[in-house]
Amino acid sequence: MTITANPVATATPVGTVSASTVDITPSFLTTAHGGIVTRTRQDDLSAVPAAIRSEWIKLRSLRSNRAIFAFTVVAGIVMSFVLATFVKTDPYDHQPFTAAGSFMVSSWLTLAMAVIAGILHFTSEVQHGTLANSVAAQPARWVLVAAKTTVLAGLGLAMGAAGMIAGYASAMASGMDIGDTSGIAATIGWTLVLTTLGAMLGVGVGMIIRHSSAAVSAALVWMFVVENLIRSTAPASVARFLPFSAANGLLNIRSAGDTAATLAARLSRTQDAFLFAGITTAVIAIGTVLLYRRDAD
Amino acid sequence: MITVSHLTKRYGHRVAVSGMTFDVAAGRVTGFVGPNGAGKSTTMRMMVGLTRPDHGDVRYHGVSYTRLQHPTRVVGSVLDAGAMHPGRTAREHLHSMAALSSIPARRVDEVLHEVGLDTAAGQRAGGFSLGMRQRLALAGALLGQPDVLLLDEPSNGLDPDGIRWLRNSLSEFANQGGTVFVSSHLIGELAMFADDLVVVGGGKLLAAEPVAATLARGETTVVVRTPDAADLVVLLDRHGITVSIDGDRLTAKGTTLTAVAQIAFDHRIQVVEITEASRSLEEILLDMTGASAEFVAA
Repeated sequence: MTITANPVATATPVGTVSASTVDITPSFLTTAHGGIVTRTRQDDLSAVPAAIRSEWIKLRSLRSNRAIFAFTVVAGIVMSFVLATFVKTDPYDHQPFTAAGSFMVSSWLTLAMAVIAGILHFTSEVQHGTLANSVAAQPARWVLVAAKTTVLAGLGLAMGAAGMIAGYASAMASGMDIGDTSGIAATIGWTLVLTTLGAMLGVGVGMIIRHSSAAVSAALVWMFVVENLIRSTAPASVARFLPFSAANGLLNIRSAGDTAATLAARLSRTQDAFLFAGITTAVIAIGTVLLYRRDAD
Repeated sequence: MITVSHLTKRYGHRVAVSGMTFDVAAGRVTGFVGPNGAGKSTTMRMMVGLTRPDHGDVRYHGVSYTRLQHPTRVVGSVLDAGAMHPGRTAREHLHSMAALSSIPARRVDEVLHEVGLDTAAGQRAGGFSLGMRQRLALAGALLGQPDVLLLDEPSNGLDPDGIRWLRNSLSEFANQGGTVFVSSHLIGELAMFADDLVVVGGGKLLAAEPVAATLARGETTVVVRTPDAADLVVLLDRHGITVSIDGDRLTAKGTTLTAVAQIAFDHRIQVVEITEASRSLEEILLDMTGASAEFVAA
């Protein structure tokens, strides 16, 4: 067994002796003209696809991510089944649930799981020390951020689609009427936007809080407790700008904290999408600044 | 070749590293030694861009680490052998690292073979022993076929056979022109294969010199057994040699066996036994760094 040093054979071998000096610059560091090769901004941009490949390998290699994805599918199946079999009618308008109107009900859970997946993708790197490996290999840390958010966006998109497909199939199999399908395309589209952004938001939250348990707890408490409290106490004109108020709007569902006033004050779906995207972008930007400022260990 | 210039890092009011300046030569193994809290790990993290120095920089062949086009193809580092996700297999771990640096996938199996982890490639890292994790970490450092290796305590967890494998591998790497910079608390082990030493304490550089120069700092001791101890003490004292006496046994410091033997012979002193002892590298380094040790046992 031999560990070899710089075995790459080139036209400029290591240890070339000239008349007066010994050139010990490794050949892979030199250009054809003998200058030292340094990184440029173009190199960083060119490195993004490789970073995405790396992040994809990290994502698909963990059983926990497969479990999260599977949970999304199961949630879709179960929630539609429960609605069709036990609940049967909407408690707000007392109309029977239809497949077209309820297939995305589990998407709120999918959103929560997408946020968690995004958080864990970053915080597990900090927890297990692999972030240091990544930063040592890629000093342009924004490249890592771009790759992580891109790969998690893909996961969020896939989770959203899988959850809705499972929900729809389960609803139909459970005997629900298909219902009014005129709004399905818009609902599908906005839901996919939401779950895609949700996974990216999770990466940003993970970059800020860095500790798995703390980040996941903070996200869930915010989603399920804090925002409901704000929605039920703050003016509707203010509460509508909360990120998960926007999420409710995109899914066209109401939450426990929603009142007639909050529902009436809702933004349009396009506005909700821009709001959620803007908040996601801000969180990722803050996380990126912190990633640069903090030691990578 | 690594050039470290005036490297400084503070955490609040605590100065972790202060004005660290030294060179690490190619084709040699350089040991990085110092007590706990001396600033070794902080220095090594600054050397691979994980921690930003407040002042100073580190250059590899004149180029800052963060300016290298492909850093891991120049510098392979192991600063934390446990830096791997327990749920990922060895092969997946290395594949993700190779992909990030655009290193061909075939290198994964090559380095697994080099470190002797072929048969464990498909096992999850969570089930690895400490020694296996060390080997996997070293495999990651070798992926890019670097000409510089930076290793922080690479012997931790290795059995004697593993330590010997590592020692031989690093020596061979240096013999082929590579640069090896390795920190270790196993001074005796380091002494067997290090060519140069960088000694730090309290965040400051104490010495950067060949191992031979460090060993020369140690005082030689000559122990003599003689029935004429009192007479020999007087003679050695006349020659300016410090002597302590314990029955028929004399201990002379700062001299050589040849010198003491010659004095005894010249004055017809009977010598029953005479031995020379040099201070170990560990003892010398403990003396050098003792005042700057952050954590001292009672």
